[in-house]
Amino acid sequence: MKPFDIIMFLCVGMVLSGAVSMTFAQELGATLDSLEVRPSLVNPRLSLPTQLTQVHVVSPGEYFSPPLVADIPDDKYGDMVRMGRDIFVSTAKYARRYTGNGLSCSSCHLQEGRKPHSGPLWAAFGMYPMYRHKIRTVVTFEERVQDCFLYSMNGIAPTLDSPEMKALVTYAQWLSKGAPVGVSLPGRGFPEVKRSQDLDPKRGKIVYETHCEICHGVDGKGQKHTNGDGYMFPPLWGRDAYNKGAGMQRIKTLGQFIKGNMPLGASFSLSDQASLDVAMYIWLQDRPRNPKMSWAMDFFFPNMAH
Amino acid sequence: MGAVDLSKHFLIVKLKNVSVLSAVFAGSLVLLPSVIIISFFLPDAAPTDYPHRLAGQQLALYGSNEVPACATCHGPEGEGDFRLGIPRLAGLHPEYIKKQLEDFSRNPLKTRVVLEPIARDYVKTPRTYGDLTVFTPGTRNDLDMNDVARRLSEADRHNLAIYFSKLSFMATPTAYDFETLERGEDLALRGKPEYGLPACVSCHGPKGEGFGAVFPPLAGQPLAYLVKQIDQWQTGKRDNDHLSLMKNIAIQLTDGDKINVAAYFSNQSYSVNLEKR
Repeated sequence: MKPFDIIMFLCVGMVLSGAVSMTFAQELGATLDSLEVRPSLVNPRLSLPTQLTQVHVVSPGEYFSPPLVADIPDDKYGDMVRMGRDIFVSTAKYARRYTGNGLSCSSCHLQEGRKPHSGPLWAAFGMYPMYRHKIRTVVTFEERVQDCFLYSMNGIAPTLDSPEMKALVTYAQWLSKGAPVGVSLPGRGFPEVKRSQDLDPKRGKIVYETHCEICHGVDGKGQKHTNGDGYMFPPLWGRDAYNKGAGMQRIKTLGQFIKGNMPLGASFSLSDQASLDVAMYIWLQDRPRNPKMSWAMDFFFPNMAH
Repeated sequence: MGAVDLSKHFLIVKLKNVSVLSAVFAGSLVLLPSVIIISFFLPDAAPTDYPHRLAGQQLALYGSNEVPACATCHGPEGEGDFRLGIPRLAGLHPEYIKKQLEDFSRNPLKTRVVLEPIARDYVKTPRTYGDLTVFTPGTRNDLDMNDVARRLSEADRHNLAIYFSKLSFMATPTAYDFETLERGEDLALRGKPEYGLPACVSCHGPKGEGFGAVFPPLAGQPLAYLVKQIDQWQTGKRDNDHLSLMKNIAIQLTDGDKINVAAYFSNQSYSVNLEKR
């Protein structure tokens, strides 16, 4: 056989196998309804069950408990805390001039910045100023909040003396009252995940359709509030999503967030591999450009990290 | 003479034809846009679900030979009974009503996973197999509704869903003591972060008004009904949620939590479909 023949043979084989796998995937997609689907049927198995998930043990005493909202003092300081909480919960309404999409701070920092394993404010505040590898310099808490506005909310960074920034910092400081400074508390940031095999966006798509689609929508565009600003269920891709400079655009960070927090009410129910698979599926979708990157770079390397 | 007359006649006819055609053409040019513009200000034509709504109304108010009228328990306006804890149906999402009726009519499975309410044993590390986990298609056990729902046909469910979703409702906020409301508000808006328990409002809408077809309203429902539903999630009598999400939440709620949060939502002002009347 000539080399040309071998190449042609290989090409035909690849096309045929691709067609077969495509039809199989389409059949799966056509027959399985996201509501009726039983995840056990998605991966037909031969002998033994393999997807062992260790359920996260709830140990509430382990985590720092922030003060109650009812205990906010009735003075100027308390007013600032309340304003910060309003901005944090519905950023699209109270900090409209700085946001570029409908996301709120509490879209990622769940339950008003209190939930462990979702970047809680009480664990973050005492760790700043800290060295960030992303920009290779020491940043203060305020500068970190500016980055959130610039990347995750795809907007413009509030200046350090703006009332919004003061209110947010005051809220974070109030929330971490009693927490030690400079100590990495349990529940800080996101939980660790470890992949057991190569990431596969096809598996991630199935996870998305069975677990995420009911809230975040078929097209990942989220769902808006019926009467008000911002999103009830935040968009994962598309024009209103976080841009490519955000931390969630890293597959590992997004997988960690999904593992620790999603679906709501069933944290740690997905396996590490499933969280990373669905994170890769979301990572592959289109979203706004990183503002620090040129249009040309974004066009030619759409999924380049930071 | 006759020929001249005829030619004249033909001419006139031709002219008439031309004039008629041009008149129709010019008239259509003027009339069509005006008709389109006027149609914006006219009231909408009867929607296509009008016959379904009428049939649903007939069934809801008067019942049929097999099915008792819904109005006998749920009220003539679908407003429910707040003393007996019978839920309000007015203004619920049609798809939600339809799904609940289907789940009421479904026979409960013999084998199902029963979770213990409030798992207190933190020493054990439970393990689950993701590919062995089976979620039921959805069942609800209720002494009265199971029997009624099994007699309804597919069309009946559709008609009733359309009818009840179009009804309007205005809640009467109930007063409770300050401590109950404060605790209820804390749970409703913030949940229990250290237990991984999400806030009610994160799915059921910022004021508990419900969101879409999946998340029903909590505001404007009787306190007794809400508490009873959480009880039924805990005991497994109600088991019709997506991925057992609500069951996982319900088994973490204490008796005090149920009452506090239900009191908070019955303290809210709430109205639905009122502007359409």
